Amino acid sequence: MSTQKKTELEEFEPNIIGFLCNWCSYAGADLAGTSRIQYPPNVKIIKVMCSGRVNPMYIINAFQQGADGVLVSGCHPGDCHYTHGNYLARRRIATMKKLLEFLGIEPDRVRMTWVSAAEGRKYADVVREVTEDIKKLGPMTKFRREKEW
Amino acid sequence: MVENKELIRVVEETVSRDDVKYVIGYKRGTYGFQIKPAFAYSAKDAKEFFYSPLCAKNLATYPLLEEKLPLRRGEEAEHKKIGIVVKGCDSRAIIQIIQEKGLEREDVVLIGIPCKGVIDPKKIAKRFPKQSKFVDVEENSNDEYVLEISGTSHKIPKDELLSDVCKSCEYPNPLLYDILIGEAEEEFQPEHFNRVDELEEKTIEERWEYWEKHFQNCIRCYACREACPLCYCKTCMADLLEPQWVRRSVNLSENTAWNVMRAFHLAGRCISCGECERACPVNIPLMELNKFVEKEVKEMFDYTAGLDTEEKPLLGSFRPDDPEDFIS
Repeated sequence: MSTQKKTELEEFEPNIIGFLCNWCSYAGADLAGTSRIQYPPNVKIIKVMCSGRVNPMYIINAFQQGADGVLVSGCHPGDCHYTHGNYLARRRIATMKKLLEFLGIEPDRVRMTWVSAAEGRKYADVVREVTEDIKKLGPMTKFRREKEW
Repeated sequence: MVENKELIRVVEETVSRDDVKYVIGYKRGTYGFQIKPAFAYSAKDAKEFFYSPLCAKNLATYPLLEEKLPLRRGEEAEHKKIGIVVKGCDSRAIIQIIQEKGLEREDVVLIGIPCKGVIDPKKIAKRFPKQSKFVDVEENSNDEYVLEISGTSHKIPKDELLSDVCKSCEYPNPLLYDILIGEAEEEFQPEHFNRVDELEEKTIEERWEYWEKHFQNCIRCYACREACPLCYCKTCMADLLEPQWVRRSVNLSENTAWNVMRAFHLAGRCISCGECERACPVNIPLMELNKFVEKEVKEMFDYTAGLDTEEKPLLGSFRPDDPEDFIS
């Protein structure tokens, strides 16, 4: 039984939603691709114009719809295309992470990073780390929406 | 202690002013320990006003509920003030609303009442169930509540009936008022809201079990939203159909989404009057969420809601040195 469980855990491929900002992180992910850096395919990218565009409810809705983790990535502080969108995102995500932790949802499931357009390698590392972390945590089923008819 | 005579006199005076449309206060209910909001449009309506430790309701909700009809051509909007009887927490709600430009300072006349804490209606109704007549409660000088039910008088220690949020109240006196009734209360040492600490000590799995149990009960009546003085958006995100943030079905998933959304939207705005918890028909401990967020926001961003009308909103402002230890 325990071996079976173990193999199940090994086979678990997490489903991660990545909200990447158009100007830095998405370009960073692009660079990782054009540089032919290998990284896990678990992060499904949604391009947003700015990390400040990420409504914290997106995170909740992602979990409801079957995501096991969420990655929010934006420009480094001071580099935001819209001057301060990432600062606003930082406050929001910090508050939401704390709230989720208090509710009993592992805070590691929500990850925020700064990735610039030149950091293709960092993006690949981030994706690798996130995937590892969430593989360890296992599937997120706490408040997933039930299958509809 | 607030003298009812003094309150009535002040309300009469305020209503009689030309620039005041009406005054909102409390009046006795019809049964049990229920109080009702009272609206005085003229001096004679002020007679039924009263104040007692039963007056828990936060009246700051009402000025925002007023319907503003579209104006006819050439017609000008009526600029008349609304008078409100406010306790400490209610005045902070008004400050927060003014800060968010939901109201102008000139729109309201605040009649401040120094508060000694209010009775939790759920606690007192449990203790003395099925009262068919209104029972008034008074507070004596020995920290006891005195009430008379069918001829027998009862004395109950204050601690047993006091609302949980009032025990940890830091601002019993109104922070913003035009008229103050009676003497300001002495500052007292607020207790820590220990229900949050107890939860924080639990493991993450136990916490989810706890909230799962409560969220499962939620019937999504949105009473918490309606009672909250700061939930005054014209269109709530929970009511939107396009995009539909929260589905209407009542199940654990949607209930969790709604409750997280409510708590998050009150981050840096909740002034802990406890109205949501009092309104909840299935006793979800909503104040635990609010108090936790309040505490974290204070720790992380050194921000307290409802103290200054000129302050910027928490989530609409930032400091370059905000904590970012969670970001890699």
